[in-house]
Formats: sequence, structure tokens, C-alpha cells
Amino acid sequence: MSPRSALNRSLLALAGLVLLGGGLLIFFAGLDVYRWHGLVPPAGWPLTTPADVLLGSADRARWSSQGWWWWPAVIAALVLTALLALWWLLAQLRRRRPGSLPVGGTPPPDGVELRDRALSDAIAAEAGALPGVDDAAVRITGRPAQHRTRIRLTLTPEGAPGATLTALCAGPLSTARRCTGLPDPPTEVRLQARRHRAHRVK
Amino acid sequence: MTPGSTPPGRSGAPSAHPGAVPPAQATSPLAPGGPGRGHRTHRTWSPRRITAALVAAVILVAAVAALVDVIAVRAGRPAAFWRRHLADELATRPVDDVWMLTGAAVAAAVGVWLIVLALTPGRRRWLPLRSPAGCPRLRAFLDREGAAVLLRDAALRVPGVGAARVLVGRHRIKARADVRFRDPQRVKDDLTAVLGEECDQLALARPPRIVVRVRQRTD
Repeated sequence: MSPRSALNRSLLALAGLVLLGGGLLIFFAGLDVYRWHGLVPPAGWPLTTPADVLLGSADRARWSSQGWWWWPAVIAALVLTALLALWWLLAQLRRRRPGSLPVGGTPPPDGVELRDRALSDAIAAEAGALPGVDDAAVRITGRPAQHRTRIRLTLTPEGAPGATLTALCAGPLSTARRCTGLPDPPTEVRLQARRHRAHRVK
Repeated sequence: MTPGSTPPGRSGAPSAHPGAVPPAQATSPLAPGGPGRGHRTHRTWSPRRITAALVAAVILVAAVAALVDVIAVRAGRPAAFWRRHLADELATRPVDDVWMLTGAAVAAAVGVWLIVLALTPGRRRWLPLRSPAGCPRLRAFLDREGAAVLLRDAALRVPGVGAARVLVGRHRIKARADVRFRDPQRVKDDLTAVLGEECDQLALARPPRIVVRVRQRTD
């Protein structure tokens, strides 16, 4: 699992727990579950009886009388929340691209570098010409030292995924490995078949 | 797809069986019966980018709105309408009010959904494929709709099949065919064989079960 996936999943689980906990708290109090089942909530439990409100006047009075530091603290907390949310949102939109890859081993002997776009275009051109492949799109992601290749292939109706993968491995990918001198990068291939009308062989 | 758009290097007729591809591919390590060679691709976990972006956007909007209003009130302006309204409602509606209970139910349901999304792998649309033997770091996936299209084309090549519908699930493939001529039982046997063969061509990491149903149609 990538770091971003782990972060997203942790934060989503946290948000889910907060929502679920809040919802259940209101639900238990609203349906009077505590009394029906003879449960005694601990002291300071926020909602206990169906007549409770979420925002009691006691709460409001207590918050307003906290002293000078209360509102600056609230503002600071809101600013922090907003910044973290913004950072989280931008992390989803950003795609890391290596820019250029060192060619011929690290560090590159003569400072020779290859643009990631040039490599992906070369792989796409060769993959698109494979038999059974209608269209190929290639993207190089990650950092220069640890780049990964993502390939999306659209098959023609006559294409066979297994044979296409073997040809891809023996053709464009081995060419790329040979030409760049880089170790085999992790590669993800997504295969699709173009939808078309059924036509029967007469 | 017209025959004219056939790329070079492909064996001629569009009706050719995928097994009859050029010789270099016919000796593929993924040929039928080769699941032992090449390694299996495990399902990858989706990063859940869209859900994360949505939740982040909701939190961002709520935090910024609250921030703007708190600062406005500190600066001596009256609180915004939505804040007064919200505070009023929350202060007057008891928790057994139907709106409060509805809101609580919705929040709890969304919470459960987020937890489920956080804990499950996702990417249900993509079937993992066996990687070819020469590329150990390659992971390949085929989308289920694409697999259905390829299998339907294979089913239509069986003599006697007039129409075919193929549904590709994650563990099972359901094929339904209308038989126009020939004995339905024999057509069904042929279909099962052809679909099994085509499934091998798909190189699925976990070969699914194939369920074939035929129906006689002679109108």
C-alpha cells in the first residue's frame, strides 16, 4: 500500500468513526436506549435523555465565559483544521512525476538524463503497434530514483490479454530496460477492451 | 472496428480465434495450463483518492465558513444567518426530534460507509491477471466489462448461438445464449469449452467459475 493510500484510509476511518460515534450518541439518547436497558452513563456523558439538546444554554454560557484566550484558541484551531484539510485535498490532486530519469546507472556517468515524457512516449508508441492493441497510454510517476510505469492498453476485439502481456513484456518493456540501463521499474498495466456491437460470424 | 483499421503484423481475418495469433505469441508462457509459470498478481489497494478529496473538501469548506464567521463576530459584525439559525435549531430541538434522529442516522450511515471504504481494497472493476514470466515486477489488470466483451465475442463464434450475454463477476462468469439451430445440449457443451479456452486467453490470476445457460430460440 502506498503512503498516500495508508494516509487516506486512516483519515477516512477516523472521519467515519467520528460520524458514527456522533450519530450513535444522538441515537441512543433520542431513543432512550439507556433507560430501556437500565444503563447508567458515566458522569459527564454528553447526551442521556430524549429531552436533551445538542447545544444547551449552559454550554453556551460556559464557552462565552472562558476568558480572553478562548476565541483566539478557536480561531487557531479552525485555521489549523482548514490548512490540514487543504493539504489533504491538494495531496489527492497532485501527481508526482520524475521529470527526468538518470540514464546509464546512478549517478549518471556524464549527466545524461532522459525526460520522462520521452520514455513514456516511446513505450506508448511501441506498445500501440503490438498486435491486438488498439491504443496505449503510458505515464511515468514517482521520483527519479524510484519511478514506476503505468500503462493503459485498449484491446481490439481480436486481442488476447495474456498474449498481449507477454508481447508487452518482451517488446516495449524490454526495449525500455535495455535503452535506459535502469533496473526494471514496478509496472502496472490496465487492459480494457473497446465496447462494440455483437456481430455474428456467418 | 473495420478490417481496414487492422494494425500491421496481425494475422488476417477478424474472425480468427485469438488462439491463432502470430507464432511468437502462440508460444506464450501464459498458454492454457500455465498458471504455475508466471506469477499471480494480487489485488492492489485503491488509494481512495476521490473519497478522500470529497471528505477533505467538506472539512475545508466547513472550517473556512466557521473561521470567517468567528472572525467577523470578533470584529464586531453580527453573526451570519446560517450560524444563528443553526445554533437556534441545535438549542431548541431535543434529541428525540425526528430531524435530529434523521440527521443522526444519516451521519452514522455515512460513518459506516467511510469505515468500510477505509478497510476494503476496492478496485472491484479490475480483475488481476497473471504476469508474464519475463517481467516479475509487472502487475496487470483487466477490466470486467472488457473481459465480458471478449468472452461474448468468443461465445458468438460457436455455431448455433444467435445472441449471447456475458456477465463477468469477480468470482463467476455467467453466460446466457440463445440457440438458433443445433441441439441445445451440444451448443452448451461447445460454449463451455470455448469460454473456458477464452478464459485461459484472458490469463486471469484466479480463474473464475463459468456458468452457461442456453435457451432455444427458433423464431
